[in-house]
This record gives sequence, C-alpha cells and structure tokens, in this order.
Amino acid sequence: MARSTLISARNQLIMPRRRLLKGAAAFGAATLGAPFINRLHAQEAHPLAGQTIEMSILGIAGWLPSSLGVQMSPMFAEFAKERYGYDVSFTFAEAPFADLFQKAATSLATRSQEFNIIISDSQWLGALAQPGWIVQLNDIIAQNPELQVEWYSPIVVDTYMKYPDGSDQLWGLPQEGDTIALFLRQDMLDDPAEQQAFQEAHGMPLPRTFEEYENLTMADFEKVAAHFTRPDQNLYGTAMQYSRVYDFVSCYLYPFMWSQGGDIWNPDTGEVVGILNSDINATAMQQMKDWLKYQPPGATNFGIAEEVDVFTQGRVFSAFQWAAVGLSMIPESLQGKVLVVPPPKHGTGDSAGRIYTMGGQPWVLNAFNDDAHMRVGIDFLKWWYQPETAVEFARRGGNPADAATLNSPDFDTINPWNRAYKYMLTDGRSRDFWHHPKYAEMLALQQEGFSAFMTGQNEDAKAVLDYIACGQQQILADAGNAPMVPDMCYSTSL
Amino acid sequence: MAAVTDPIAAAPRRRADSHRGLVFILLAPVLAFFVVFNTIPLLWLLGLSFHNFSLTSGMPPEFVGFQNYYQLWLGRNNFWGDLSRTFTFVAVGVTIQTLLGVGLGLLFWGSRTMPGRRIALTLLFAPMVLTPVATGTFFRFIYDPNFGVLNQMIQGLGLPMVDFLGSPATAYWAVLAVDCWMWTPFMILMTLAALGSVPKAELEAAEIDRLPFRKRFTLVILHHGKFILMLGILLRVIDSFKTLDLIIPMTKGGPGQQTRLVAVELNKQAFESFNMGFSSAYAVYLLLVSIAMTSVFIFVLNLRRRRGS
Amino acid sequence: MRRSLYHAVLWLVALIWFAPVAWIILSAFKTREDILATPPKLLFTPTLQNFRDLFTTNASFVVQFANSVVLSLVSVVIAVAISFLAAYAFSRFKPKGTDFLMFLLLSVRMLPGPAVILPIYLMYAAFGWKDNHVALVLFYAMFSVPFSVWILKGFLDGVSIRYDETGRVNGGSWFHVIFRVVLPQVKPGLIAAFIFNLIFVWNEFLFNFVIGGVQTQNIPYALAVGTYSDGGLNWTFIATMTTIYILPPILAIYAFQKYLLVGMTFGTVRGEV
Repeated sequence: MARSTLISARNQLIMPRRRLLKGAAAFGAATLGAPFINRLHAQEAHPLAGQTIEMSILGIAGWLPSSLGVQMSPMFAEFAKERYGYDVSFTFAEAPFADLFQKAATSLATRSQEFNIIISDSQWLGALAQPGWIVQLNDIIAQNPELQVEWYSPIVVDTYMKYPDGSDQLWGLPQEGDTIALFLRQDMLDDPAEQQAFQEAHGMPLPRTFEEYENLTMADFEKVAAHFTRPDQNLYGTAMQYSRVYDFVSCYLYPFMWSQGGDIWNPDTGEVVGILNSDINATAMQQMKDWLKYQPPGATNFGIAEEVDVFTQGRVFSAFQWAAVGLSMIPESLQGKVLVVPPPKHGTGDSAGRIYTMGGQPWVLNAFNDDAHMRVGIDFLKWWYQPETAVEFARRGGNPADAATLNSPDFDTINPWNRAYKYMLTDGRSRDFWHHPKYAEMLALQQEGFSAFMTGQNEDAKAVLDYIACGQQQILADAGNAPMVPDMCYSTSL
Repeated sequence: MAAVTDPIAAAPRRRADSHRGLVFILLAPVLAFFVVFNTIPLLWLLGLSFHNFSLTSGMPPEFVGFQNYYQLWLGRNNFWGDLSRTFTFVAVGVTIQTLLGVGLGLLFWGSRTMPGRRIALTLLFAPMVLTPVATGTFFRFIYDPNFGVLNQMIQGLGLPMVDFLGSPATAYWAVLAVDCWMWTPFMILMTLAALGSVPKAELEAAEIDRLPFRKRFTLVILHHGKFILMLGILLRVIDSFKTLDLIIPMTKGGPGQQTRLVAVELNKQAFESFNMGFSSAYAVYLLLVSIAMTSVFIFVLNLRRRRGS
Repeated sequence: MRRSLYHAVLWLVALIWFAPVAWIILSAFKTREDILATPPKLLFTPTLQNFRDLFTTNASFVVQFANSVVLSLVSVVIAVAISFLAAYAFSRFKPKGTDFLMFLLLSVRMLPGPAVILPIYLMYAAFGWKDNHVALVLFYAMFSVPFSVWILKGFLDGVSIRYDETGRVNGGSWFHVIFRVVLPQVKPGLIAAFIFNLIFVWNEFLFNFVIGGVQTQNIPYALAVGTYSDGGLNWTFIATMTTIYILPPILAIYAFQKYLLVGMTFGTVRGEV
C-alpha cells in the first residue's frame, strides 16, 4: 500500500505544468460567465474568477515571520478579489519547529491536501522533495515573471530553493530570510561608568558601534561578555543556544567550526567521517562550551524562546539570536535600548573570519493540491514577492530576501536588526547545512552528541565527534548514496 | 472494604456451544474492532520490521531480513542504553512510589471521620488525572533556573541554584520526581484498597494480643493486602515503561541522551526520522517486553484466584 | 485534640501534593510579568485577561475544546457499549479462547504509545483516514475496549447467573435478560469504565498528534504546539488553558471517587477507599 502511494506521489510531480494548461483552457469558459470582468480594469481574466477557495497554511508556532505571513494573508484575499476576481479565505495550522516536520510529513505521506502551502525549514527541502510531496517550482517560475525575483545573494537560492545541493532544481521560495545577529544592550554600552571601567580593565575602549563590532573578534568580545557577567547582580554577559531540542545547539556551534575552517560533510560524495571529526571542530566545540561561563544558569537548555525570556527580562547584556525574532527581542520596554550588530569574527588577525548559520524558511507547495488550490498557491507566491508586499512584510518586522527591497535606501532603518541581517546575508558570511532527506535523523544524532558534550556528560570532544560522524556516515550509507562506514567506527560510543 | 474480583472466574459451565449464534453476535463488534485495529496493524508492523523503509526516501520498502533486529541487538543508536535507562526509571520510580504510597496510605487509613475527606482525597488524587503534556510543560517552568519557583525556594534557603533539567546530573531524577509526584497517589489508593481487604476481626485480635506495629503489619496487613499491592506495583511497572507524554515537553530526551526512554526514542525514530522499518523492529522488541509483563500480571491474578478458591 | 491534629496533618499532605496544580491555577490569573517575577508572587492582583484572550484572540480554542469533548465522549460510549456485550459473552458463555483473548486485549494496551500508533498510522495513511473524526473516534474506541472489557467482566462475574436463568425461565428474551436484568446490576462497572477511559482519551496527546490533524486536534495537542508565542514561552496561555482543561477531570474524581479504584485497576480490584 505504502509502495503504491509513493509511486503515484512521484507521478504527481510532473503534473503541475499539465494542470496549468488545463487551467488555461478552463479560463476561456470562465470569462464568458463573468459579466463583471470589465468593471475593474485591473482585473485579469482568471479561471477561478467568481469562485470561493479555502486555503490552509501550515506555519511554525511561535515564530514571528511565520505568523506575519498569516497576519498578512487577508491582504492577499483583497488583492486576489481585485486582481483575479475570486474569494479566498485562509485557515492556519501551527506546530513548533521541533514538531513541524513531523506534522507536515505525517500529513503529506497520506497524500492529503490538509495543508496547501507549507512554511518549511530550509533543511527539509530534501525530505519533502525526495518522496514527491512538494511541487518542483522550475517550470512555475519560468512561466511566471513575478516569481523571477532577483535575490539579494546566492545564499538565498542555495538555502531556500535548491535541492540537491549544486543542482538546478528549485523546490521552495523564501518566505523569510534569516541570519544570526548579536543583540546588545545599547543603554549599558552608553553608560560612561561602564566605558571607563572597561577601558581600565582591558586597555581598550568598549566597542559601541556597528562598525566596531563588524571588526571585532570573539576573543575581544569575550572581554566585553566577561565585563558584564555579574552573577551577584543577576546579570550575565551573553546567551547562545545549547538546547538538545531540534537544531538549536547545532546552529550555534557551526559558526565556531566553519569560521575557523572546519566543515561538516562533503555533499558531493556523502563523506562525513574524516571531515566532521576534525581537530578544528573539536577545538570549536570546546570553545563554545567555554562560553557557558558568561551565560545565565540553565543556558545548556536555552533555545530560541528561553533566550528571548532572559534578554527581555534584563538578565543578559547580549544575546546571539536569529534576526527573525527581532520584534520579540525588542519589546516596548527595550525600545531604543538595543543595538543589533553582526556577530563577531572567529580567529585572530588576517585569518579571522565569520561564517554563521543561515536561518529562515521557504514556502513550499503541496504536490497533492488540486488545480484550484495549486493555482491560488501560485497566485499567493506571486503576491508575496510584489514589491509592496515585501516592504509591508519588512515594516511589520519580517525579513524579505529580494535584492530590490534590501537595497532600497530606507531598508536599513526600518528595523533595528535590518542592517546586521543584510550584512550577514552577504555571500560568504552565512551558510546552510544539509538538505538531505535524512536530515531529521542526522540532526537528532548530533543534537544528542553536542548536548552531551556541552552539559559535560562526555568531556572528550573528539570522541563525541567520532561518534556523530560514524553515526551519520551509517545513516547516509543506509540511504544508499555514501561510502560505507570505516572500521574505526565500531569502537565509537557516546 | 475493597473486594477482590475474580477476573478469570470460571463460568458455571461451558455453555458457549449451545448459544453459538448469540455469543457470536455479542462478540462480533469487539472482535471486528480487534481485527481491524490490532491484528492487521500488528501484522503490518511485523512485516515492515523485516524491511528497510524510510518514508522520506521516496523508495519502496526493501526486504532486509533480520537486519533491523540484528542492528538493534548490536546496540545501534544505543538501544541498550534506552532500555537500561527505562528499566532504571521503572525500578527506582516504582520503588519510591510504593514506599511513599504505602506510608501515606497507612497514614490515611483512619481518616474516615475526617472533615472534608472527599475534597482532601480529590486534591491528593488530582495529579493522576492531569493532562501529562500540561504537567510536563508546567514543571519545566517550575524547574526553570531563572524564573522557576523551586529555585527561588532553594535560593531562599541559601543554597546554590540547581539547573534541574539542563544538567545531566539532575535531569533524569527531576523527570523521575515528577513521575513520582503524579503516581504516588495511585499507590496510596491501592494501599487503602489493600487495607480495606483486611478482615476487621483479625485486626482487632492483633490489637488485643498487643502485637507490635511491625508484626501487625507483616502478619496481618501484608498477608491479606499483598495481592492488591502486587497488582498495584505491576500496573505501575507496566505504565511507567510507557512514559512519553511527560518527557516530551520537559526535555525531549535530553540533555544528551539522558532522559531518552524507549518510548521517547521510538517516537523519534518513527515520527521524526520516519524510519519505518527500523522503528517497527524496535516496536516488536517492546511488544515482547510488554507481553512478558502482561504474562506476569496475569500470573499474579491467577495466583490470587487459586488462593481465593 | 489529637484527632484534629491528625486530620490537620492529613490535610497538609493533600495540600502539599496539590501545590504544583494550585501554582498552575494561580498563574492563570497572573499577567506575564507576574508569572516571570522573581521572587515569585503569591500576592498579586488577579486578572481575567488571560481567559478573555483565550476565547477572543485564539479562534481555534473553542474548536479544539469541542474536539476534546466529542472525541472522548463518543469513543468511550461506543467502547463501553460493545465491551459490555463482549464481557457478557466472556463471563456467561466462556467461549473457547476467552483467556487468550483477554490476554491479547490487555497486552496491546500495555504497549508504549508510539509502538501502537506506528502501524495504525501507516494504515490510516494508506486508506486516507488521517484527520478524520470518525476514524479517530474508532481508534480511541478500540483503545478503550480492553480496559472496559476487563472492568465489566469483573463485575459481570460477580452477578449471580441465577438472574439470567430466572429471566430466561420466565420467558424473557436474551435482549430482555442482558439489558433489563443484568445491565442494571453492573451500573457501577459501567460508570467506572466510562470515567476511567474518558479521562484517558481526554488527556491523550500522541495519537491525536500523529493521526489527527487540523480538523480533529484536541486541547493536549494545542498545549503541545501552542507553548511558544512570539515573545518566548507563552506561560499565560499554558496556565490558562491547563486550568480550564484540568477542571473536568478533577470534578470527575470528586463526583465519582468511589469508582476511581475500579477504573485505575481496570476492574481487578474493586471497592471504595
């Protein structure tokens, strides 16, 4: 039974184009039966004119950009009514990051139309595309000039659209772009007493501007974090994410690895052993663990939400956090008191560099949508990339990823984090990881390993990396497109 | 007070043959349910466990024989670790619940005339009927090192802050403590039932003989109440083997693999990684464990029946 | 004097045990700032805003609550009804394989949740039954059958067969005997089976998450996915929704306290405490 499901799911993949042609044929009939078509001269002839469609979107619970997409959808309904002449209403379902893939996949595996449009995480593209659950967008993009957007940087395409890596197959379109930024308490930086105390203690001025942080290294930022770490006052220097849940600790560990020349796998050959378990990466793990001393108690359980809580409750001076949650990081009580800058470089001197993890999510379309829902889904995406929509999204606190909006003169000032976001979205400063269908399994394995190291269950970084590399190699080998597990792996354990 | 019913009581005589039609009609709905929702899925599970099948690979199931079982047996993905953590969880948890439950049960024994007894018992039994997801989520808050009430109390006593769910030394025990909080009332309930099954006359005789409490407990109370207590313990063993809802909101099996019990890991393998073949083999192993536990349970029930008759 | 001291100790134990629940309920009447305040606030100005928010801004709450009610009531009624018939057959006619069937019923019920739902999920996926009220009700009913059969068989074994025989001799049909003569005798068993399974389905999360969906989600599901809001963890939401949701089960154990023991031991131990 499952077998036939999957096979027909594959066939479904080649449908969209045919569907669109059918839609175009239906359109002729629709115009005849729509006498009001000339009333609004902006209105296009549309096969769905006069109909009422109910769309459902699956988004990420508690994730601001996702809920902005939801909140803005009535604007699309208006737009669709005016431009295309059909009524559309939306229903929404949500699941938190850790459970969204589970929610989407359990539904899509039944070939259900339960969710017409899905806000996926970028790393799920492979797992959703491989079994044929989502629509390949190459043809649709080719047929719709509105979807041929100029993106801000190649990372956008690599992160949110492509699977497999390096191919030209496109499966998603960016719902929002996201990078890691460093949120700082400007009011504490501006305090002359702090500046003087820091100068005296470290013989250097307290870095206070975007430009200063742009050139700052982690070694220097450590001084700043140490300066503001005062457990007796319930204040700590910074916060990062160490939680075992979903991808939290991985996303914050990768910058330590990548920025210093480490890597996680070879996407072309599927090799992990020998790449992930390098000495550079082992050192990187130890470095991240060392940062715990500048963070509040319980930091080993910090995820996105916990970081928001400690930052907004004034427990930390700074936080490495996704630009996407900027609005929650800066509530009314902190307005004007927060500076958002690029996170520091790793390493020293000329070799110092920064490669942080990409966040953000693509829109993907359910491959099992019927013609009408597919059509509305495409119309929705076309609307999402209208310049006015992108600007409105930014105004409400979202992060568009198209070049036109990001390069517009006032973009930097719309939100406090926009400048840092744009800076980090530039090619070479951020990077996404695996889009492989085995993503969830590889992730769970390393989350356990990294979390075991960060919490001190296993003190040997190299051994943990060996364990993870071997486990992931086994997963990839079982999936059939990677070298076999080397012999050294039989002795690894967590 | 409590009467012990006989679950597998022998019917007066075997009359099934003479009423075949009626028996069939009476049993048909349950049997239909059983076949559709148990037998067929279980066969399906068994079949899949011999296949390599990932829902996200887009490939049809591939027959691999006993490979999944073999890999689990060899400890792939720390299978034995999950099992041993779970057995520890069960053993320690049920022991604490039993000791506390019997102690508090004895304390509540003479409470018949207590004012507001029904309300007090309702409050005491409330943890058992709470939604585990809600309990887990809220205990995460109570345990929180920065905002949680428990750490505030600890610090109020001048002790250092404890990162209950974040530190590998405490996470497992913190989760276990919540399980004990939820289920000690059940052992209290069972203790009260066991005490109720002790004949009044024997208790009075023991009192007249001025037996010390320890002797009275072992000779009279345990003698009559042990079956009910054993059933209670077995039920707790079986139930805590399944613990999942509580852990998901509290730790998701972390930190590291610290709180990864079998149900948590199986949930992850099946519905996060979508490794259906591997998970099926995992589930079959668990099915064997639960069949074994059910057998012990029925064995104890039968012991009591034999003793009763 | 000694007596009232003893009672005071008992009350204290009960209150200590209830304290975490009380803390949840108190939090439902606090603002977010009060919940996150350190040191924790015992005295605060109670607010009903959280409840208002739940009903006004959270449109799906009412649907989810209705789902919880419908799913648990309908499935448990079905389960108890058919379990009564089966238990009657097992108790009175003891057909071949009774012990084995009773054993099978129980062992499946003792399997960890993900192992139960895994093959069911694949089946539902293949037949397209996911996110369907009827399919979910049927599954919950199946899941409630084993304990109901055990509880009711225990009670039926306790009802003397002479009732049946008298009824039959006096010319009553089987229908008359089963529903008019025997059924009233096992009312406590029916109530115990009903309440116990109701509480289970009411609190059930995993199955709803895996084979349910947008149409069928219940409150535990909503609690699991709604804990995050745009400003971190949504403690007011968690506390408020939990408070509303735990009230019915707590009221149920108050009202049906004497059935608690039977239910919790699925009929193997009977009586009151």
